[in-house]
Amino acid sequence: MAAAIEAAARGCEVTVLDESVRPGGQIYRQADPRLPGTEFAEPTELARKKRLLRRFNEILHAIDYRANTIAYAAFGNGEIHVQVEDRTEVLKPDAVVLATGMRERAIPFPGWTLPGVMFAGGAQAILKAQRTSPGRIAVVAGCGPLPIVVASQLTRAGTKVAALASLRSPLAILRSPGGVWHGRDIMREGLRYGSSLLNAGVARLTGYVPIRALGNERLEAVQLARVDEQGHVVPGTVREIACDLLAVNYGFIANSELAAMAGVRIRHDPDGGFWLPETDQEGRTSLPWLFAAGDTAGLRGALVAESEGTIVGAAAASAVRTVATSDALTDAIAARRRYSRFARVVRETLTVPVALWRTATDDTVVCRCENVLLSELRSALDSGHHSLNAIKRHARPGMGWCGGRMCLHSVAVLAELHAGVAPGKMMTPRPMARPVSFAALAQQKRTVAP
Amino acid sequence: MSARFEFSFEGRPITAHEGQSVAAALLEAGERCLRIDEAGNAKGAVCAIGVCWECRCSIDGIPDTRACVTEARPGMIVSRQHGLSPCADP
Repeated sequence: MAAAIEAAARGCEVTVLDESVRPGGQIYRQADPRLPGTEFAEPTELARKKRLLRRFNEILHAIDYRANTIAYAAFGNGEIHVQVEDRTEVLKPDAVVLATGMRERAIPFPGWTLPGVMFAGGAQAILKAQRTSPGRIAVVAGCGPLPIVVASQLTRAGTKVAALASLRSPLAILRSPGGVWHGRDIMREGLRYGSSLLNAGVARLTGYVPIRALGNERLEAVQLARVDEQGHVVPGTVREIACDLLAVNYGFIANSELAAMAGVRIRHDPDGGFWLPETDQEGRTSLPWLFAAGDTAGLRGALVAESEGTIVGAAAASAVRTVATSDALTDAIAARRRYSRFARVVRETLTVPVALWRTATDDTVVCRCENVLLSELRSALDSGHHSLNAIKRHARPGMGWCGGRMCLHSVAVLAELHAGVAPGKMMTPRPMARPVSFAALAQQKRTVAP
Repeated sequence: MSARFEFSFEGRPITAHEGQSVAAALLEAGERCLRIDEAGNAKGAVCAIGVCWECRCSIDGIPDTRACVTEARPGMIVSRQHGLSPCADP
């Protein structure tokens, strides 16, 4: 949104491709205006959301904003292939800014496929956009700030949060007072969420992670166990808690498939988004027409994304046309610097020890779409299939509906854990980045020469 | 205030708000299992943002429709998919 605003201000013709029904992305996701009820977020967060959406609404008349539009392929020649309902279209703009954001990082454990086990951000999306709660009695778990926020918002929505299990104490962040100071406004928000949990009497389990979800056809209880600093389960610490919702988040994985498909150089950053396009300070990738902004270029959160969107939007505009006016980007650069310092501290809380992937047992599903069990993955590794491409061809993880978004990072980590394979290289991303029907492919509009 | 209406899930009436997704209305009604996969496992909503495809249902006869990104409409007919077939009795 910020990149579109800036590029439009610099005189570019801007098209925004949005997978959602309405603007906002994940963080500023908007509910349907017809829905009753209120938001469960802090007023300061809602004020930021309102401010950015207002700025975006002001340029809507001047840009080509396309809702419900999926970019399913990007090629080295600059073509972007998009799907809208039962049609597809090939676009070839002069510059492309990828602001594809992140998805949640899952760690497979026995029972994690049971209905009722959700991502914490998924539970939040239901709260945010649907104004309802996905559960009646919840256990919230994981690391970093999201589980705290989601646990608090669940209590506000009337869900009983039976426990909030955190990999490490959220107070550990105070060990870096300098970084915290740069994000003091966001920290205050976090403290308000934290204190609302204390007021609601939510039990806190520090150092605990979910090791097994129990239930028949649906979640009925979760087993949590304490883990040591290295992520190994401490024997004799298992606790079982009855619940119908387990909301879990272990950080994020970048949506970098389109960047990789276009052929940009990719770097590996395990806790900052896993596979990321290499970018410079202005979001340039190794392809001159392709830019990446915000979390797509490395996990740093919504405030960095907003200021970086402005910076990258300006750089993309310069790549397209000679801009007569070059308004200073001083404010955006300062904001990005400040919140990047805070983001570095927050990222420490999202460091996940590799041993947590040992909670998966041989009969645990690793790839949900294709029902690939850990035992099958291990036999593929034992047979010498070590690269992600080879593992995929042999055992099928990543070949299902989600295109590997849920499991491939885990496959890489498990390959490292069980076969000592360096997880570095991404699976070769090929079209379609999302499932597209043949009918939609048959109805293709192409305004540019191939 | 938005209107309320009903749609059907596995033949049962489900109440939804205007503007709500199929998945949200089902969760609110206490329905957790939205699909039985090829291995016979019950599956429900996971990411709720259209990424994981776990909540895909048969909606008005169209299989593999994600409940989390499909707006509920009055009179919709939603059913669980079983494996690769769009419903229990194809």
